[in-house]
Amino acid sequence: MADKKQYWRGIAELENPGLKEQLGKNEFRDPLPTDEFLSDENALHNGQTSRRDFLKYMGFTTAAATLAACESPVYESVPYVVAPEEVIPGLANYYATSYFDGHDYASLLIKTREGRPIKVENNKMAKLNGSANARLQGSVLNLYDSSRLQAPRKGSESIDWETLDAQVIDGLQKADAAGKQVVLLTGSVISPSAQKVIRKFGKQFKQFRHVVVDPLSYSEKLRAWQEATGKRALPLYHFDKARAIVSFGADFLGDWVGQSVSSDYAKTRVPGKDMSRHLQFEANLSLTGSNADQRYKLKASETGLALAELYNAIAQAKGRPTLNLKGKSSQYQAVQKAGKELLKAGAKALVVAGGNNADWEHLVIAINKMLGAEGNTVNVEQRCFLRQGSDQALENLTADMKAGKVGGIVLHNANPAYHRAGNLAFKEALQKVNTRVAITPKANETAQACDFLAAESHYLESWNDFKPADGHYSLQQPTIQRVYDTRQFEECLMRWAGMVGSYREMIQNSWQEGMLRDRSWKEVLHDGVFAAATPLAGATQEPAEQETAQEAQSDGANLDRVAASVSKMAQNASGMELNLYQKAGVGAGMLANNPWLQELPDPITRTTWDNYVALSAADAKELGLRNWNESDGALNGNAVNLTIGKTKLKEVPVIVQPGQTPGTIGLAIGYGRKGLGKVADGVGLNAQQLSVGRAHFAEVEVEPLPEYKHPFASIQHGYTMMGREIVKETDLSTFLNKPAHTAAGDGWNELPEFGTYKGEQAPDKTTLWSSFDHETGHMWNMSIDLNMCTGCGACVVACQSENNVPAVGKEEVRNFRDMHWLRIDRYYSSEVTEEMAEDLSTAELYDQMEKAADSPSVYFQPVMCQHCNHAPCETVCPVAATTHSSEGLNHMAYNRCIGTRYCANNCPYKVRRFNWFEYHNNQERFDVNYSMNEDMGKMVLNPDVTVRSRGVMEKCSMCIQRIQLGKLEAKKNGVPVKDGQVQTACQSACDTGAIVFGDVNDKESKVFQLKGDDRMYHLLGEVGTQPSVFYQVKVTNKA
Amino acid sequence: MHYEAPIRRPLITGDKSYEDITRDVSRPIETNAPRSWWIVFSIALLAFLWGIGCILYTIGDGIGVWGLNKTIGWAWDITNFVWWVGIGHAGTLISAILLLFRQKWRMSINRSAEAMTIFSVIQAALFPLIHMGRPWLAYFVFPLPNQFGSLWVNFNSPLLWDVFAISTYFSVSLVFWYVGLIPDFSMLRDRAKNPVQKHIYRILSFGWAGRAKHWQRFEEVSLVLAGLATPLVLSVHTIVSMDFATSVIPGWHSTIFPPYFVAGAIFSGFAMVLTLLIITRKVLHLESYITREHVELMNIVIILTGGIVAVAYITEFFIAWYSGSNYEDFVYMSWGAATGPYAWAFWALIICNIITPLFLWFRKVRRNFLASFIISIVINIGMWFERFDIIVMDLSRDYLPSSWAMFSPTFVDIGIFVGTIGFFFVLFLLYARSFPVIAQAELKTILKSSGENYKKLQAKEEHGH
Amino acid sequence: MATDQAPVVKALYDDDDVLLRGVKEVREKGYNVSEVYSPFPVHGLDEAMGLKETRMAITAFFYGLVGLTFASLMTYGMLIVDWPMNIGGKPSFTWGENMPAFVPVMFELTVFFAAHLMVWTFFIRNGLYPGKKTANPDPRTTDNMFLMEVTPEDTQSSDELLALLRESGAVEVSQNKEADA
Repeated sequence: MADKKQYWRGIAELENPGLKEQLGKNEFRDPLPTDEFLSDENALHNGQTSRRDFLKYMGFTTAAATLAACESPVYESVPYVVAPEEVIPGLANYYATSYFDGHDYASLLIKTREGRPIKVENNKMAKLNGSANARLQGSVLNLYDSSRLQAPRKGSESIDWETLDAQVIDGLQKADAAGKQVVLLTGSVISPSAQKVIRKFGKQFKQFRHVVVDPLSYSEKLRAWQEATGKRALPLYHFDKARAIVSFGADFLGDWVGQSVSSDYAKTRVPGKDMSRHLQFEANLSLTGSNADQRYKLKASETGLALAELYNAIAQAKGRPTLNLKGKSSQYQAVQKAGKELLKAGAKALVVAGGNNADWEHLVIAINKMLGAEGNTVNVEQRCFLRQGSDQALENLTADMKAGKVGGIVLHNANPAYHRAGNLAFKEALQKVNTRVAITPKANETAQACDFLAAESHYLESWNDFKPADGHYSLQQPTIQRVYDTRQFEECLMRWAGMVGSYREMIQNSWQEGMLRDRSWKEVLHDGVFAAATPLAGATQEPAEQETAQEAQSDGANLDRVAASVSKMAQNASGMELNLYQKAGVGAGMLANNPWLQELPDPITRTTWDNYVALSAADAKELGLRNWNESDGALNGNAVNLTIGKTKLKEVPVIVQPGQTPGTIGLAIGYGRKGLGKVADGVGLNAQQLSVGRAHFAEVEVEPLPEYKHPFASIQHGYTMMGREIVKETDLSTFLNKPAHTAAGDGWNELPEFGTYKGEQAPDKTTLWSSFDHETGHMWNMSIDLNMCTGCGACVVACQSENNVPAVGKEEVRNFRDMHWLRIDRYYSSEVTEEMAEDLSTAELYDQMEKAADSPSVYFQPVMCQHCNHAPCETVCPVAATTHSSEGLNHMAYNRCIGTRYCANNCPYKVRRFNWFEYHNNQERFDVNYSMNEDMGKMVLNPDVTVRSRGVMEKCSMCIQRIQLGKLEAKKNGVPVKDGQVQTACQSACDTGAIVFGDVNDKESKVFQLKGDDRMYHLLGEVGTQPSVFYQVKVTNKA
Repeated sequence: MHYEAPIRRPLITGDKSYEDITRDVSRPIETNAPRSWWIVFSIALLAFLWGIGCILYTIGDGIGVWGLNKTIGWAWDITNFVWWVGIGHAGTLISAILLLFRQKWRMSINRSAEAMTIFSVIQAALFPLIHMGRPWLAYFVFPLPNQFGSLWVNFNSPLLWDVFAISTYFSVSLVFWYVGLIPDFSMLRDRAKNPVQKHIYRILSFGWAGRAKHWQRFEEVSLVLAGLATPLVLSVHTIVSMDFATSVIPGWHSTIFPPYFVAGAIFSGFAMVLTLLIITRKVLHLESYITREHVELMNIVIILTGGIVAVAYITEFFIAWYSGSNYEDFVYMSWGAATGPYAWAFWALIICNIITPLFLWFRKVRRNFLASFIISIVINIGMWFERFDIIVMDLSRDYLPSSWAMFSPTFVDIGIFVGTIGFFFVLFLLYARSFPVIAQAELKTILKSSGENYKKLQAKEEHGH
Repeated sequence: MATDQAPVVKALYDDDDVLLRGVKEVREKGYNVSEVYSPFPVHGLDEAMGLKETRMAITAFFYGLVGLTFASLMTYGMLIVDWPMNIGGKPSFTWGENMPAFVPVMFELTVFFAAHLMVWTFFIRNGLYPGKKTANPDPRTTDNMFLMEVTPEDTQSSDELLALLRESGAVEVSQNKEADA
């Protein structure tokens, strides 16, 4: 204690000696009484420490120790030396940027706190893809993924950029000198500036090729459009203009051609006179299919024939020549019906096809033409460049590589060794190339076979400009200094092309020169998007620049040829058909190393951390395969071996999927990764290991393994609603022509009532208690429109990242311990009817009710804490850890919670989540959840939300931190909180506007009107919990 | 001195005098434990230690080491809690209610029954504590002033009612038991040869001398304590049942729970007393005090309470169906339960609790020690299943099918339960060798009225006239 | 009890009925039965000795009232006055409205107070406490013997008394001298 040395923390303090005192002042309102005895020189030096001194010191140290031992841990913090003026601690900054990884595209707002990007929001200003799907909602976490390449690498040892540059340039020039090809293999490139850079880069070499490949091939589709319009690009679709939508296997609400159409689609789904009718013909039960008014099972091999039949039906009606077809498709009748619907809608009709088949596309184009939809719902003037890949070119390239004609190759956004593993021996061919460079964020499947790995920056660390479609432009700007020693693709090429200056300058210049007439760069950068009526000089980069080989065939558009080939396909179809699809969470697998996305339950099967074969009940029976539940309810399944030609996929687990077309199986791509990191690696199997070819389906041999047992992590145990009024549904005509509530009680939205001495009363009126005042101040309510909700899951991930909700890993999900505050329940319709119930025994009846129908209607219902005003959870908490706020919210005080779990038991909605373990700083159990167990990962945590400790209960708080912020802002401005000022995370993530949050005491508010809507009902209203969340009855437009 | 009718069968058989009673009661304490005792004791001790291990593991890692999930937040923990509390009811009931009803036959069993109460309530009290996510904050449940000032407990919560009910019940039973023990301790003190023993019993006996005035007060205090304990014992399980009855979960939300839980508690409590005493009388040679009479009388109580429980089940089953609410389709007493994934638990309950006790209607069975012993054990298994069914089955299938789940225990769940059983027997075995297992002072008061030899004498006299 | 000025006579009996008869006779003869030690409560002994009714029960009743009041004040103070909350919509406006939810706690505390305080009173009034030294003059009185203590006034002759006690069926009769020795 006698020691009087001076210590300084950091240079800042040394340079500025006043700082210490300053900090001291800020820290304690009044100085601690330590000096009283510590400064007493004699007492300290001539060590005659008296008993009283000793006691003083003892007292002080004990007190200090006690304080130090308080529950909240103190982490070391590094203050800004020079604070950037735009960063105000405690306040969020938003930056507009865009995401493109060669597959997914969206323009976004990024929320940063103290310079850390922590949340992805939708860019409402964007006209095209202004909303992040579930994947992009989670993409911010990938920024902090420690398994990213943290520095450039040669083979396995890391090197610095200069060495890499030198060696790469040297390698490529050698190759060029040797008269060999230098190849740039990328995903679709939609950046005009990147195109410039690529051209510059290519100029250095005699034989330069730029080959483009998409994770999932669309080259046949593109070929069709090239043949039809001469331009190798897909059109833009305007679903908002469509009144009749007929989709043949196009999962446009899930993953289709890259254009996100769900918001447009939702616009036509508002119950009313001009609500659209949506018919879906498909093999897998897709997200789109489950939202359709009517869904018909159709094998992919019959799709062409069905389309031709549709063509004929319409041609007949229009008195045009019809095609002569052999045989009839299994859905002939339905197709005729679809034809009528389309004709009724005329120009407001829209036919779309999925898969990747030129013939189908030609028929679709022709049908839309006939209907006059082209130019209306199908916009061929504005072409969409999100899909540009050419498999022909890739195949040629592979051949050349095998033949040793290629001397150097640079890869970016392209991973053929994974995405084409089954189709071609790319990896082997790659070995024949002398200089192999991968510009990649990960040492992924293809990169592993390269000798130079240029560590690529995350999109939140990069500059770029995008032209997703004619007339649509957007900018990508970094929201954080590079986390690792990385560089973005364009910067690399610029170096290797010997270009000077930075990529940002280049973009800015080209924009200022070419595009921005009256608007300033800053302005556009702020908006992040820029819509220009006419194509602009500065950025009219044509995708045709890339090599697309000689794909287009002269007679491609000849419909007679098409008719013949589609009939042939239908006739030759015999065996089982495998249909590839993408899951909401993982997609094509670019962001797969992300626990949030892996743990996002599949909207249909509600299964996490897996891909699997979806099998129809009939086929399962035939093959002797089944799913069953363990004694703890966990789901198990058998498996199958899949064989296509020489390619095999062993032990693929099976889920028996209601609605799956018999004779077909579905399998998601994007799984079975190697080299992406601890989260993605080894989860599921790579579907593209099978040689499916360019189409998204192929005939497959299925070898059942009835002995095999695979453990699934499925969070939903029940299939149906068991005859309970959980999701209320009615059809359009009833909705339009009948009252919601009638005295007779046969309305389409009868609300529960109880007989009292005052007559029939609503549950919230039948109470013995005098009620609390909910009229003064705010009364937060939420409306969820079951018509708008497509079940895409964006809200779930948004909630997870906003509220620091832990991902718990496969084992814990399997134990039904998922932590999602917001879940989207999925229900299938059952085949049981009133009549059936009559002649079934009770036991049989229950058994039947639990089974889903063969072709079920599917219902999605987002459920979060309903914030009941008579909350069962509150009453039972012994320590009053959960109580009700005066604003109608159900609060949860984590510090007070002792974890009896009584509240969760007593919650009718089962929305409360318990911290069974310590989910943060618990590496040995929850390693995969790096957002809470790695210092880097923790950067993503929202500082406004507590990270819950072990043993406490947690649940949806209606984003209380956002509510507080909204109220504070309003208070600062001295005005009442405006409607829409406070948006919950789920609400702002929902691009269909299904979720509306607001103050029902504000009679102007949207939520207030919605509460008065005829479609309004409370979930389990009859229980009398008086929820603050209400739902809007689902209205389907069945024919 | 009143004599009872000769028709009544004697409660003390054999030719016993006051000294005999003293000797018989203090024999276990003054002799050394037989090998059999040591074997059973060490088994119990092992189980106890294993249980402690599992508890430490739980507290170290988190409740996640149990089999619970987001839907089923309680399972074995609260099942065991209710089960032990239920068992705990018999003791107080026997000594309190039977005392009020002047049932003399209670005297030879109430001491052990009360001991059982104390020990099983200790087991019960363990579970609410360790089932907490953060047991180290358990003191939050007490209305203590704290640094946050206005941070009080929630008196609306049934769990808090439990806190008060269980602690009151435990402490009052303990006091009741101890007051009764004092004269017997002083008896042991006065007999003790070994000075250490003498010293211990001197401390335990509070210097009791058996003065007339003290006896007078003693009897009044016992009577009043009995009067207090009677509503108390009924209130405890009523309140425990309210944990469920006041909730909104289908199957839990049932207004007949209080009376039916109390009946169930007595049912299982008496069964447990039987189990224990049938062993004790043999091991400690108390055949002439714990007689066939006692066994039969207790069996009769079991028939009665078992009947009440059975009626309650049927009522639940009927109401679940009659309510017409399909939320009730799968409650623990319903067709859904009888045929659903938990059918095995449902039928286990029916067989153990409704069918097996029916055998007791035969006089031969209820006067047969072995049969009563087996049946008493079956009943205890059945009562455990009753609580398991109510908690797990009702939670596993409540309102929203999307959240339905199931439960299966981990080795920790099982370990802790086994541990409490071990702990219970450790305590009981120690008690059996160091405490007067029969309230000898009380028993002496009825020797003349109910002793076999005295009854004979009296009979002779009457014939003589 | 045994003091020099007041010679105490002790009589041991081996049967409760005999003892009871003895007590009655001795008191009829005008002797003062100062104390009786017995291994178990002998019914009718307190009347025979002319002991007053005990008031334990009354104390218990008042302790119960204390408990009830305490519980009511606690719930009122904590949940109504100090920090009223909206807990599941339960009306915390007045104690009366919220009271039904407090009944269990009120009941339990009533019993708690009544039982425990009464037992404390019992111990205090009897002067019983852990480790108190043994107070019964003859160890057999906790086994099977009954001991009557008579303190004759100076006017009464102890020989007469001894004779009386013997014929009343006492198995042993002794003067305090050897008893105290």
